[in-house]
Amino acid sequence: MSLATARRAMPLAPPTPPETHADSAPRLKVLIRDVDFYYGTFKALKNITMPLHDKRVTAFIGPSGCGKSTLLRVLNRIYELYPGQRAAGAVIVDGEDILAPGVDLNLLRARIGMVFQKPTPFPMSIYDNIAFGIRLYERLPHHELDDRVESALRRAALWDEVKDKLRQSGLGLSGGQQQRLCIARAVAVQPEILLLDEPASALDPISTQRIEELIAELKADYCIAIVTHNMQQAARSSDYTAFMYLGELIEFDETERIFTHPKEKHTEDYITGRFG
Amino acid sequence: MPADVALPRVAAAKSGAGALGDLIFRNLTFLFALLVLLILGGVIVALVDGSLPALRTFGLSFLYTDVWNPVTEKFGALAPIYGTLVTSAIAMVIGIPVAFGVAMFITEICPLWLKRPLATMIELLAAIPSIIYGIWGLFVFAPFVQQYIEPAIIDTVGQIPGIGALFAGPPLGIGVLTAGFILAIMVLPFISSIMRDVFETVPPMLKESAYGLGATRTEVVLQVVLPYTRIGVVGGIMLGLGRALGETMAVTFVIGNAHRISTSILQPGTTISASLANEFTEAVGDLYLSSLVALGLILFVITFIVLAFAKLMLLQLQKRAGG
Amino acid sequence: MAIYTTRRLINSLVIALAVAATGFGLLWLVLVLWTLLWNGIAAITPALFTQMTPPPGSAGGLLNAIFGSVVMTLAATLIGTPTGILAGTFLAEYSRGSRFGEVVRFINDILLSAPSIIVGLFVYELMVVRMGHFSAWAGAVALAIIVVPVVVRTTEDMLTLVPNALREAASALGSPKWKVIVMVSYRAAVQGMVTGVMLAIARIAGETAPLLFTALNNQFWSTNLNAPMANLPVVIFQFAMSPYADWQVLAWGGALLITITVLFLNIGARALASWSTFKQ
Repeated sequence: MSLATARRAMPLAPPTPPETHADSAPRLKVLIRDVDFYYGTFKALKNITMPLHDKRVTAFIGPSGCGKSTLLRVLNRIYELYPGQRAAGAVIVDGEDILAPGVDLNLLRARIGMVFQKPTPFPMSIYDNIAFGIRLYERLPHHELDDRVESALRRAALWDEVKDKLRQSGLGLSGGQQQRLCIARAVAVQPEILLLDEPASALDPISTQRIEELIAELKADYCIAIVTHNMQQAARSSDYTAFMYLGELIEFDETERIFTHPKEKHTEDYITGRFG
Repeated sequence: MPADVALPRVAAAKSGAGALGDLIFRNLTFLFALLVLLILGGVIVALVDGSLPALRTFGLSFLYTDVWNPVTEKFGALAPIYGTLVTSAIAMVIGIPVAFGVAMFITEICPLWLKRPLATMIELLAAIPSIIYGIWGLFVFAPFVQQYIEPAIIDTVGQIPGIGALFAGPPLGIGVLTAGFILAIMVLPFISSIMRDVFETVPPMLKESAYGLGATRTEVVLQVVLPYTRIGVVGGIMLGLGRALGETMAVTFVIGNAHRISTSILQPGTTISASLANEFTEAVGDLYLSSLVALGLILFVITFIVLAFAKLMLLQLQKRAGG
Repeated sequence: MAIYTTRRLINSLVIALAVAATGFGLLWLVLVLWTLLWNGIAAITPALFTQMTPPPGSAGGLLNAIFGSVVMTLAATLIGTPTGILAGTFLAEYSRGSRFGEVVRFINDILLSAPSIIVGLFVYELMVVRMGHFSAWAGAVALAIIVVPVVVRTTEDMLTLVPNALREAASALGSPKWKVIVMVSYRAAVQGMVTGVMLAIARIAGETAPLLFTALNNQFWSTNLNAPMANLPVVIFQFAMSPYADWQVLAWGGALLITITVLFLNIGARALASWSTFKQ
């Protein structure tokens, strides 16, 4: 596929350039600086430096094994659950390095939400799923908790479908609904940053579309990083794109530029499908 | 879009509580895991402590002396040890081939719809408590054996010079053979269940390559499945042996409780656990009691060795399978 | 061609033997259950559940024995289950790959198959000698020691089956580890853990040897846990070995009661296990 064809494959409506957003110019939320990552002795990430902007969507793309999920998981230090995995470098969120020792991991993860590839509803009612995170940190009176649960479900575009069955098990929902439940659960704790690890890859096309619409709405309030192996999804949904290969950041730029005028040959090869 | 209810974050205090909770919970679970080790340690200490008087009095000769006289206070463990080993041996000789046959049938021969119910039924054999086998053995099985089986054995195999001595003697129904046979019924579900589990781990492609060459079912099982799973099979057998060695109630009812060693397996005898069950609560005298505890110690050591061996074999199998 | 015929013959023979072996196993199951029913049903009368164990030669029931068994089984379950769950949780959640965890697992599996009479001996030395008398508490502790390894095993196995993604999802919300375990992992594994407890109860319901030197027996009605207490297995032992016909009938009745309970629990546990896997 030639670059011209790739350009033609872009959506007809050009993505809204960042400048025309109601908000001011993009603000830096996270600075990833010289980050290395090791699985044991294997170096999976090499010297990654890149920004994540607030109220924007940044997509991580690249072939399997390039380290995009690994990088995402550095951002909320979820890798700390496993011995033998460690990160070096700095990840500066609003001026504070979250990789520094002494950072409270639980509080960190309450500020940075994560949605996983496969929907992971907890074995409890829909209501309790959403309330789980809230209850960890706040003692709310009953009606306030109800309001928070409702607002989270509305944000995830799930409220209308589940409002009559809040007490039923989350496991009874369809795949797409479960994933939206997980998104609702993540936004319920009012994070500042959302990490989405291939959130639609396990879903059918219609559910995928709804998730993408959701992301477009959520963008107004959160800094979003999304890992995707679906290039068209990255092109449609994101403002910035990072192309990674074998643990290195090959190119980072505004999405429009990456997909129409990539600077690196490698990027161009990946986007036009010469490898993947 | 509804307005989010913006509330202040209740931060540090809550998180501190989380860290404390983690510490408490982790240590709590650690303590109880330690308790498991302590239980075993306690068993060893209690047994050794209780056996010391007997061991000091009789020394190592306790292990090979065949005497059991509460009146003169002379005790030797040979008869119970012998009985334990012989009944378990009989249980293995009968139980292993039968267990293998059952495992082979369930995994390779029986139709799919029958597998689950059949496996459950065989496992129910293991669920029946030992005392039920005991009472059944005493009132139903032993009389039957005495009336029909033992006379038949005595008249046939018992007449052969040499090994005939193994099957001599008046038909009593109760005795070493009966006890061993009931033990076989009791351990065969254990051995069979483990054999079944390991047979199922054989990759279907391995079996298919053998069938594809025209091998018969028997040949595939004996020459492909069994060699592939032999470590697990041996582990399962040892586990069954461990069970047989420690079985108490079923054996106590039908072994006859005679502290002696006879050549004939049709005669009564005793096992370590049967002696304990029968005599412990009535034992008078410290040396008598201590000798019984010493019997318990010997049984514990034997079963520990067998079970540890079995576990090591099964662990090795797990490692090989990549588990 | 002769070789092939021999092979086919051997194959048919071995298959026939395998079928025979299975029939053999089933035969004994049927025989034991049948004779149990046959002999025990005569004893199933209301009197069985309302009267105490009698002296030889008189009519009676098994009420005190049933009561004692229920009480001690309950106590053993209450003592052993939390112990087993916590120890199993440690093995599954905190000790992946550690040496200590391996040792505990190893020892646990040995305790699982250890002769129960040894457990009785241990508790005798530990409690009966120290307290100076037999007691239902000692009996309960002995049974609890048998419950613990079973529950440890099933808890560890079930918790290990809980997918890591679920744990990560809870951690990603900022949940401390203990809440992840208690509120998510336990909930996900609850059905399997309940099955494990049911199987443990089924196991101790019929155990005689551990009670022989701990709870002993009691002819009369007693609710005193600090003294010997009647229980079904030891009563059956005593009555069956005796020469008295009416005692023997009661022994069969007790045996039938125990067997029904044990089979019920076993089949119930299996049904629960397959129902939960079916649901998922």
